Amino acid sequence: MVSSGGTPEGPFDIALVEGTITEAWQVYELKKIRERTKYLFAIGSCAINGGIPAIKSTQPELEVQKRVYADLSPIHSIRPDTIVSYVAVDGDIKGCPPGERDLIEALTSVLSGRKPDFLEYSVCIECKIKTNICVLVAHGMPCMGPVTNAGCGALCPTNNRPCYSCWGPMKQANASALAKLFESTGMTPEDIVRRFTLFGSVTTEFRKTAERYET
Amino acid sequence: MKLNIDYIARVEGEGSVKLEIEEGTLKDLKLNIWEPPRFFEGFLHKRRFDEVPDIVARICGICPVSHMTTAIRALEKAFGFVPSPEVVKIRKIMALSQIVASHLIHLYMLAFPDYHRLHSVTQMLPGFELEIRRLIKMKEVVNNVTALFGGRPLHPVAMVVGGFTQLPSRDMVGKVIKELESIKDDAVQTLRMVSNLPFPDLTNDSEYVGLHGPSGYAINEGIIVSNDGIKIEEDGYYSVFKEDEVSYSNAKRTHVKGRGSLMVGALARLNLKFEMLHPDAKKAAEEIGFTVPDHNPFHNNIAQAIEIVHGISECMELLDGLNLKDSNIPLKLREGEGIALTEAPRGLLCHHYVVNRKGIIERANIITPTAHNFMSLEENLRKLIQQYINEEKEEIVLKCEMLVRAYDPCFSCSVH
Repeated sequence: MVSSGGTPEGPFDIALVEGTITEAWQVYELKKIRERTKYLFAIGSCAINGGIPAIKSTQPELEVQKRVYADLSPIHSIRPDTIVSYVAVDGDIKGCPPGERDLIEALTSVLSGRKPDFLEYSVCIECKIKTNICVLVAHGMPCMGPVTNAGCGALCPTNNRPCYSCWGPMKQANASALAKLFESTGMTPEDIVRRFTLFGSVTTEFRKTAERYET
Repeated sequence: MKLNIDYIARVEGEGSVKLEIEEGTLKDLKLNIWEPPRFFEGFLHKRRFDEVPDIVARICGICPVSHMTTAIRALEKAFGFVPSPEVVKIRKIMALSQIVASHLIHLYMLAFPDYHRLHSVTQMLPGFELEIRRLIKMKEVVNNVTALFGGRPLHPVAMVVGGFTQLPSRDMVGKVIKELESIKDDAVQTLRMVSNLPFPDLTNDSEYVGLHGPSGYAINEGIIVSNDGIKIEEDGYYSVFKEDEVSYSNAKRTHVKGRGSLMVGALARLNLKFEMLHPDAKKAAEEIGFTVPDHNPFHNNIAQAIEIVHGISECMELLDGLNLKDSNIPLKLREGEGIALTEAPRGLLCHHYVVNRKGIIERANIITPTAHNFMSLEENLRKLIQQYINEEKEEIVLKCEMLVRAYDPCFSCSVH
């Protein structure tokens, strides 16, 4: 919150909602914001694919909580989830941190009264645009680029490391095919699971694939 | 009279102050950091070491570099790995650029509006256009420094356990040095602006704790020192400090064993190692008449502005002398344990990991600057309210919020 005072009750023209749902009251607040807002955009990986906090969902809730607090009586955490699983949104401004291009696109689309045109292709395309050598094919790095939504400008492969999917899964990502490719390079099931549960562990795209390799 | 400041605005994360005044005396005060916990220490369990920097970066959108560097150093210690001197230098450049960026946001966007009775940075226009322009110019330049080595200013990607996956060209480094040169005067202007703000009087009794090194202004490594005589290696952290759960807060609270509250951050650092500052920063501090020790917690704002001057000048020198090689040495995994402390923008940050021989995390503990400052902030809020106890309710609330903001707390970090 960057301002003291203000109009917390709305109504609002545009709301940008960030963060993972981790406590029940947030759902109530979120629905209230939805009701009072014309255009609601989910912003950032946490809101859209659960982000890093959703890693918690891959382990038994109580065990994770016990590792942090001895007294759990004041703690009211629930299984982390995305905001898009609770309310309808007018678009996703993806990324961690969120991408500038899609943020500007969201705001200008509302101002000019048109549908926002977000990037909906994989990081691979961005590597091709940059004429990067493929780190997956050429260097055998476990790159998540083929299943990850574009927007970062293929930052990791450009910096000589494999993409770790901080933009989250792209639409219709073929995660299981990529997992099979990882498997064929000798990656352990545990490492494959970790790859698909860093970002997007609560999304259908990545969850199903991760489950296939869980032991 | 019961007061509940239930949503302190213009700080990082979510917290509230509850207090009760009866017949001119403060009966009770609680800092309730109600930011929902994310359980980083819980879910780091069974993750691989090389994922840790990218995971812990997400604890904070302001100081990801601090969390990454601290985690990387703790893990490298666990593996018995020593990074190259060039890598150590680049990590310091990253840390300094992030400290400057964080202080800029805090001073201009979070703290400054209070002193002109404004609610937010947007209300600073049109009256403070010059200041806003200066902020944007400086922020962009220091972001470029972080991005030069990290790939992007937030959640940098090239910084990994072992070093950096990629280094910039000499030309790119030269360009950034020039950009930094162009904001040196803006840093001095920032300090003048901040030093002229009408800070309330308050005297802090908490112990100042920070890192100290043999040469230079210690940021990413050093021994832990205090003005009350602490002088220990970072591995001895738990022998001196203890973290406790607090029934009314999701953040834990740290104290000095057998003593009590501690204060970390820019003011603590200056009180402990003013002499180690870059000459440019010392000169700028002298110009505004700042001397140490300074016990007014509101002056943490001034200390931050002095560190902005320091950060820019030291970054330029470090950049100038870089070799740009030996950036990433392969490391051997082994079973181990590592504790590392760094100076994050808001003060002392501790990461502690236990890893198995495959590099899988068995245990993780993270203690943030705001957990270190928690008790001191509560104590000084009590003192401050006693000073203003006969004022109107609105005035008490404003003063409380101003002090909370002066500490520049990161509630999000504290409830990682």
